[in-house]
Amino acid sequence: MAGAEPDGWLLDITESPDGRSVVLWVKGRGGGRPRRVAVEYRPPFLVGGPRDELRALVRRLRDEPAVASAELAVGRPSLFDRRPRTLARIVPTLNPGRRALARAIDAGGGYRSFTLYDVDLTPPQLYHLEHGLYPFAPVRGHGAAIVATEGPETIDYRSPPLQAARLEVRLAGERRGRIPPPDARLGTVRLGAVALDGPEEALLLALAAELARQEPDVLLTDGGDAFDLPWLYRRAAACGLGPGAFALGREPVAFGPARPARSFTSYGRVLHRAATYPVPGRFHIDRANSFLYEDAELAGLVDAARLSRLSLQTIARQSPGTCFTAMEMAHALAAGVHVPWKKNRPEGFRTAETLVASDRGGVILLPPVGVEDHVEEFDFASLYPHLMVRQNLSAETLECRCCPASPLRAPGLGYRSCTRRQGLIPRTLEPLLARRLAYKAALRRPGLPAEEARSLRQRVKMLKWILVTAFGYQGYRNARFGRIECHEAINAYARELLASLIADAQAAGYRVVHGIVDSLWLRPLEPARPPEAEEFARRASARFGLPLGYEGRYRWIVFLPAVTHGLGVPNRYYGLYENGEFKLRGIGGRRHDTPAALRRFELELLELFRRARDADALRALVPRALARADLFAERIAAGAWPADELLLAHRLGQAPEAFVTFTDAVAALRQLANAGVPRDAGEMVRYVIVDRRSRSFRERVRAAELLDGSERYDAGAYLELLAREAETLLAPFGVRREALLARWGAPERPARAPYRSAQAPAQRALAVAGGPAS
Amino acid sequence: MGRTAPTYRQALEERMKRWDAFARLLTTPEDRAAFELVRTGARRYAAQATYVGSPDLLEAILLSVLTDLAGRLRAERGERDPTR
Repeated sequence: MAGAEPDGWLLDITESPDGRSVVLWVKGRGGGRPRRVAVEYRPPFLVGGPRDELRALVRRLRDEPAVASAELAVGRPSLFDRRPRTLARIVPTLNPGRRALARAIDAGGGYRSFTLYDVDLTPPQLYHLEHGLYPFAPVRGHGAAIVATEGPETIDYRSPPLQAARLEVRLAGERRGRIPPPDARLGTVRLGAVALDGPEEALLLALAAELARQEPDVLLTDGGDAFDLPWLYRRAAACGLGPGAFALGREPVAFGPARPARSFTSYGRVLHRAATYPVPGRFHIDRANSFLYEDAELAGLVDAARLSRLSLQTIARQSPGTCFTAMEMAHALAAGVHVPWKKNRPEGFRTAETLVASDRGGVILLPPVGVEDHVEEFDFASLYPHLMVRQNLSAETLECRCCPASPLRAPGLGYRSCTRRQGLIPRTLEPLLARRLAYKAALRRPGLPAEEARSLRQRVKMLKWILVTAFGYQGYRNARFGRIECHEAINAYARELLASLIADAQAAGYRVVHGIVDSLWLRPLEPARPPEAEEFARRASARFGLPLGYEGRYRWIVFLPAVTHGLGVPNRYYGLYENGEFKLRGIGGRRHDTPAALRRFELELLELFRRARDADALRALVPRALARADLFAERIAAGAWPADELLLAHRLGQAPEAFVTFTDAVAALRQLANAGVPRDAGEMVRYVIVDRRSRSFRERVRAAELLDGSERYDAGAYLELLAREAETLLAPFGVRREALLARWGAPERPARAPYRSAQAPAQRALAVAGGPAS
Repeated sequence: MGRTAPTYRQALEERMKRWDAFARLLTTPEDRAAFELVRTGARRYAAQATYVGSPDLLEAILLSVLTDLAGRLRAERGERDPTR
């Protein structure tokens, strides 16, 4: 069918409420409302284990009402299987009962006897894979008999014309972002360019009609998961409207979240995700709940959906790691391998000595504190994915039995990788790398229309995120196909590579200023006659067989010291490239918790520094930078700075009731809880410091949602923050925060007011006796 | 995240906590300043010490401290040091 003109696009596959089928949403070439095609589909999952136990299991399950069919089959479900095995193939009666049934089987085997496969792949995901389909595939044919006219990995494809509309709810008499009373009514609802208002029930019905008229495929909101959607459903229910009369999706669904809100940990940070409400037939993208949309936007998400076979709705709410895992699963199933439900490959026992040798990261040099000029930066593009592909690093290719003499050995560790079969990880990564290069090449095409360039850049960003996670997932204990030795081998190769590159750089006439994992910052030994940078990158790329990119030359770059020991810290620097672009790492403006006023200060400082052509010119600007800091200090001290520019943000690292010390964030939390809006771990609180000495949660801070514009702020606290910010940027030039504070005449850091209980007679008696309340 | 063995940098900071006891009985400012130099020296070559991957933490620390001291010695003697 390849090459044939498509009739339309497959937008999405959703699970049908009947539990026995999936719904295909096919958008015609003419646009408008997509066709809804329901197909009966109940995919099986597999169970592996001892043959007699499987036989008994199948016999037992046949009479279970939750089981549609159970039979024995033969297959090689695991990546590590070399011979076919007996399996049980189980079809649940209802798709939503899949997990419960699997759990019961696992428990019945004492969590030991059975290995289960494909349990947590969703019916839509499996339907895609089984039928050669994927989200946004151009398709031909009718009803359920549609076929994709090209493969998911096609690089130059036409996206379906997606109709997007912004959806925004305002409650009557309430400002957005403030705390609404629980019985607040809908005021206006905006859909795309249309604003609706009027009595609530009529308003909701008008919204339903407007949705039918505009037929948006994508609903875009800012905070819709937490606010707009639940409020619409809540008010619809209050007006007595049922799912039949009011639906945001293209078919009626119950007014409730498909997935409750939850807190979770990612890379050491506690995050929070609001509940999600299904809108079948459409997609709801909540910019406040979508890390990937923020960065890769629609074109990037569409690309990831195609490759991973996950619905756009899922992609928008998940991490790049989920996308990568789904891509691995797609490749695995295509090769006849199944997806283990629980990873059952514990790490082997190793001696402490081996552990110390193997459990190491990439090379991270200490940068010299201060300003340098003539520095050139070189980066290996997507180094880790390239290494995984080139060295064939994958769980099942490491220490394989077929290649005892493999020349692919991790430096220093000796782990062999297979030379005969390409591993699952390299198989998944190779097309992604090729894709990213192809997009980048397309971006260099002259005369590229701006719209196309934008969408290509979004796809490049999406791929970058997925490639980055591919490595991390090797070491993650829950990654289905991950294996810690892979993670270690990749690091070992990367260390060896950077060490070799350092030697090459020195031989080429450079001094190494700084290096992190896949990047080097080099300064020519003779800046007047620098080595040819592009040529150095080309030669190194050829020598190592990995793409080393020349990022550019800095007019100057400032490496910042650690507060604790004063030596340089990797990844804290700011510099100006010769093309006039800044590169900033680890300074205030890059952090989300910095108040806007301080970001503004940083921005002004950088704008000032932009004039410096080299290190000496930069040093000469420091007095003017300090004058700028004085100006900010003066305005802050005057107490006239707008409070919303002083908001500090804090992400809760634990549940509110788990805090034991009284901090600014805790004070804000208690204010919010009192106002009826409790926060959960992973959510943000934003507040202005009002009186840092206060022990009262009412007086210490003011939560952002409760600001009324009349509050004063604690100037001393903000001067301290300003001094800290100025020190961060200017420490290499000898600027210290204590000196700044003294110069601004800022009050000494005050002692906290004593607890009120300290005034109680018993406490006073203790204090007199030299007790705790001093 | 999910590491089994501490990194060299972590192990070093942990070990240096033990050295606090040593520092507490240094009585002159000169001695204390000198000891701070040793700490700095231990931290300066963390990347290189990591790269060695020795199970012997002290070997790695010694290499870092000694390299740092040798560098200072050379600098004091006025020998041109191409590495800093």
